[in-house]
Amino acid sequence: MKTRALAIAALALGVAACGDESARRSTSDTGGTLVISVGGDPETLFPPLASTTTGQMIGDLVYDRLAEIGDSLNTVGDYGFQPRLAKTWDWAPDSLSIAFHIDAGARWHDGRPVRASDVAFTYRMYADSVNGSPFSTALESIDSVTASDSLTATVWFGEKSPMQFYDAVHTMLILPAHIIGSARGTALRDPSIARNPVGSGRFRFVKWNAAQSIELASDTANYRGRANLDRVILTIAPDFNTALTRLLGGEADLIEQVPAANVPDVAGDSAIRTILISSLDYNFVQLNLNDPANAGRPHPLFTDRELRRALTTALDRRRIVRNAYDSLASVAIGPTVRAYPTTDTALRQIPFSRDAAVRTLDSLGWKDSNGDGVRDRNGRKLEFALSVPGPSKARNTMAVLIQEQLRQAGVKVNIELLDFAAFIDRENKRNFDAVFHGWHVEPSPGGIRQTWGSAGAAPGGTNYGSYRNTVFDAHVDSALSSTTLAGRRKHFTMAYQTIIDDAPAIWFAEPKRVMAVHRRIRTPGVRPDAWWAGIPDWSIPAGERIPRDRAIPPR
Amino acid sequence: MAAFLIRRLIQGAIVVALVATLVFLLIHAAPGEPFADSLENPSVSESVRQTWRQAYGLDRPIGEQYARYVAAVFQGNLGFSTSRHRPVADVLADALPNTMLLMGTGLALGLFAGIAVAVAQVRRRGRRVDRLLSGVSLTFLAVPDFWLAMLVLVVFTRLFPLPIGGASDLFIDDFSTVGRIADRAKHLLLPALTLALLYFPIIARHQRAALLETLPAEYVVTARAKGVRESEVIRRHALRNAVLPIVTLLGIAFPALLTGAVFIERVFSWPGMGLVIVESIGSRDYPLLTSSVILSSAFVVIGSILADVVRRSLDPRIGDER
Repeated sequence: MKTRALAIAALALGVAACGDESARRSTSDTGGTLVISVGGDPETLFPPLASTTTGQMIGDLVYDRLAEIGDSLNTVGDYGFQPRLAKTWDWAPDSLSIAFHIDAGARWHDGRPVRASDVAFTYRMYADSVNGSPFSTALESIDSVTASDSLTATVWFGEKSPMQFYDAVHTMLILPAHIIGSARGTALRDPSIARNPVGSGRFRFVKWNAAQSIELASDTANYRGRANLDRVILTIAPDFNTALTRLLGGEADLIEQVPAANVPDVAGDSAIRTILISSLDYNFVQLNLNDPANAGRPHPLFTDRELRRALTTALDRRRIVRNAYDSLASVAIGPTVRAYPTTDTALRQIPFSRDAAVRTLDSLGWKDSNGDGVRDRNGRKLEFALSVPGPSKARNTMAVLIQEQLRQAGVKVNIELLDFAAFIDRENKRNFDAVFHGWHVEPSPGGIRQTWGSAGAAPGGTNYGSYRNTVFDAHVDSALSSTTLAGRRKHFTMAYQTIIDDAPAIWFAEPKRVMAVHRRIRTPGVRPDAWWAGIPDWSIPAGERIPRDRAIPPR
Repeated sequence: MAAFLIRRLIQGAIVVALVATLVFLLIHAAPGEPFADSLENPSVSESVRQTWRQAYGLDRPIGEQYARYVAAVFQGNLGFSTSRHRPVADVLADALPNTMLLMGTGLALGLFAGIAVAVAQVRRRGRRVDRLLSGVSLTFLAVPDFWLAMLVLVVFTRLFPLPIGGASDLFIDDFSTVGRIADRAKHLLLPALTLALLYFPIIARHQRAALLETLPAEYVVTARAKGVRESEVIRRHALRNAVLPIVTLLGIAFPALLTGAVFIERVFSWPGMGLVIVESIGSRDYPLLTSSVILSSAFVVIGSILADVVRRSLDPRIGDER
């Protein structure tokens, strides 16, 4: 443990230094190959249907958005957004439309020019319900997209909102209408569309060897300038130990996420450096407020707010998180992440005190009447099942510690390890007492309406615990309609404080991502929401290249 | 022989149909549904989920899904993989040759090594070499395959310039034909070696026991009495008759040529059938799993029939007994 702590401390110290050094030494030198180890194939490379991280990474490298979110992750107005396919944009005086002016030099990788009609086509691809894009919900604020002329695409909105620019540019990767043509629905599975993407990004697709590798090469004639690296290869290693061996053996250059237990392995290798990234993830134990046996009735235990608060009080969350993640996670402060500029990190928490928890449970009438160590009331034991996704080691570790700490307070927890599909099934059917869930959130905090608001509590929604509080909903609505950062922050703070006090969940960890990368690779611009976004600007100094960096990339 | 073959093939077809039906029903009865990964995305609306279910026919009654699947299979259409967004036939066509290459090589190496070890033990039975080789066999028999694979990967890639997993080099397209063959062989070496290390103790122990049973036979004693050298006695007389149990063993191992070795494929990132089957269970990819099981159960049947045919040809008495 001591070695691990030292390694992590060294890593934390090294991060700032490496980040600065990388940015400073990034040169205009071009060449080199970046080999990224990933766990599996993407399901498709057609962006409207690509929901895996690997699929989205390749999409972001091969295609362009109209504009790209800035490092500050601001989602209000257009502040901080960087031009991409759209060189400039104009807001209509009533703010109900935005005209995007396409860069006249932009070309698809097959040489055809990018046109405004491609933008209108892209919107239809994402929004058409027949295509079943998981991202269509994010475009609900858009009424339509039209091509005013060959290089001007106008996005029309039904009503004004602070995030309408973000809605217009962040979700859609602009697609080539001349390649996809009239294909819709299941026709989009065709390999010419799903496995052979043609975009306008600074990398172009080269080949995909199923279950082995995917290769991208720099688009040397790109309108925004060629990427510094000659090529990026994603090599597939389903087993993490093999991926790690490849990294340490020099066969791979990057692993996007190293578990805390393996950080000393990479920190001890002089050829590898680690980068600590604030991620947009948080995890929590969600309590079902409805009876799993009958969703129309309240849960026999968790409908009681004081009982829920007592459970949180009984848990030393700091210790639990430290055990699972060492120093590579912070204790979650609510249904949000610290990386959001709208998050007040000083939110008032329910403090840990086992004595206080015991007193509360006693006062609620939960007492161990038969001396078996488990409290009971009116013939019902204070006992519940906690469903945990088996593949998540950290959540498994935390579940065991929760079980033990609650046992000391007279509460019995039965852990159910489930495979991922079965776990999701339980959540969708609301067939659980408590689940150890985690959310990866978007740069916009707007998703909270679905995950914790009343809107998501109905069947089919993702507020699996069915938490409902009109005060919380009102604050979220006010926050999302506020046009200033201060206003958004104020209302989000009140919303978060409301839900923290109500304790429909026990907030656990906000993990950080540890990325391991070969030292020769300079990595300016690692964004928390998409670490790969800056890859076109990554470089390898000529003097540090290895033989595979000098291999001639395919034409 | 023809009647025997026809009878076995009919029995085999029934077995395959039953296994496929059972797997189809079990995987549908298991909690969860395809697209689990995507369904965790909070932005996926219920209407989108419904669109996916309709697109893949998952909204229909299970009886209808089964009837449609069977009808499609009889038309040569194995369906569309929900987790890989590809025709199932394409997924299997990619994975199957890799698995057959790996398992075939591993089995061949294991068979050769196992028989060689058994012969060496029998020639020096009861002596130190015999005991030592028994100990080695027992050790490899007891080692978990995942652990052995990891050990082989780490140790051999540190000692020798061998690739760390994968079926080919990232830049194989730049290689000459000879270079490509050599590259494939290099990538095959360690996973095949691991398989051989796992198979050889089983072969060796069975072969040793069979040889020891054969040695007291009259024809072996006669050969010795004629002054034939011991190595010749074992190789030409005893081994030929002691090989029947190994044929049965190979018949049982034959399906592995298709289903692969999950852990070995995982550790060596070998893109074979083992990984396909395991991942299709995790992702509830009904068409891919059912088709994989149909193929593997067909191989079990074929393996069993082939083993019977070989045994009959090696020992005609087996046929007479029936």
